[in-house]
Amino acid sequence: MAHRLRGPWRLAIEQASMEPALSSGDWLLVDPTTVRWPKRGTIVAFHEPDGGALSVKRVAAGPGDRVPFEAGYLELADDEAWLIADASEETAADAGLGPPIDSRRYGPVPVALLVGRVWFRYGPWRRIGRLSRG
Amino acid sequence: MSRLTRWLAPTTTARAHCDLPCGVYDPEQARIEAESCHKINEKYAANEDATFRTRAIAIKERQADLVKHHLDVLWHDYFKPEHLEKVPNLHELFWNANKQVSKVKASTEAADSKKLLEMIDEIDAAWKATGGLEKTRVAGRPA
Repeated sequence: MAHRLRGPWRLAIEQASMEPALSSGDWLLVDPTTVRWPKRGTIVAFHEPDGGALSVKRVAAGPGDRVPFEAGYLELADDEAWLIADASEETAADAGLGPPIDSRRYGPVPVALLVGRVWFRYGPWRRIGRLSRG
Repeated sequence: MSRLTRWLAPTTTARAHCDLPCGVYDPEQARIEAESCHKINEKYAANEDATFRTRAIAIKERQADLVKHHLDVLWHDYFKPEHLEKVPNLHELFWNANKQVSKVKASTEAADSKKLLEMIDEIDAAWKATGGLEKTRVAGRPA
């Protein structure tokens, strides 16, 4: 737990895969003491399984849940979550980007890669507020 | 930026990230590497020199990996769920072609690499049927 207290406690967002909930340039508060996957709908910061980049997505399914995958289902392990972008391909395309990259690309994310729960936007001023669970 | 704003600004950036594909896709990339595998199999059969054959197998495996890579990029990045309407057996085409690449890696039979070429031609037809030629190449394929 001690290493978690080092944070990050604040994050800036770049790119558009969490539109409209989060926009590029938003400043967010993170709770890095979160050690388990939070409830479905919560936005989390985590390291991507392929490449390790620090990213934010929404928990679409948690440990033990079944998620539709290809023509069937995938059952998540006890430490895994399914993290999905809010933005559709069309929204991302409007921002000049390709499809959002999330669990549909890199699969379930183990809790060891969880960095924290994203709970509050403190910038820009006109968008300050607690983040809803989608 | 004011001193207060600088003090409040996060020092860590997270990506809500999206792919930034170049948007150029063509099964021809996979086919050229598969043709290399096929030619190598033909040359392998015509030359009994052990050193040549060892080298041929190593190169064929490398080219076969490239076939898989190009097929995967097409499958995951170019083709979209809506393309299944025009090509209902799309996943089967890629599944079988990738399996055939594995077979080509393990085999020196020209019949196996020829079959892979035919499978890539089927994928090429799917790419054309979904408008790939017009949508993804800068000015179509060179004449």
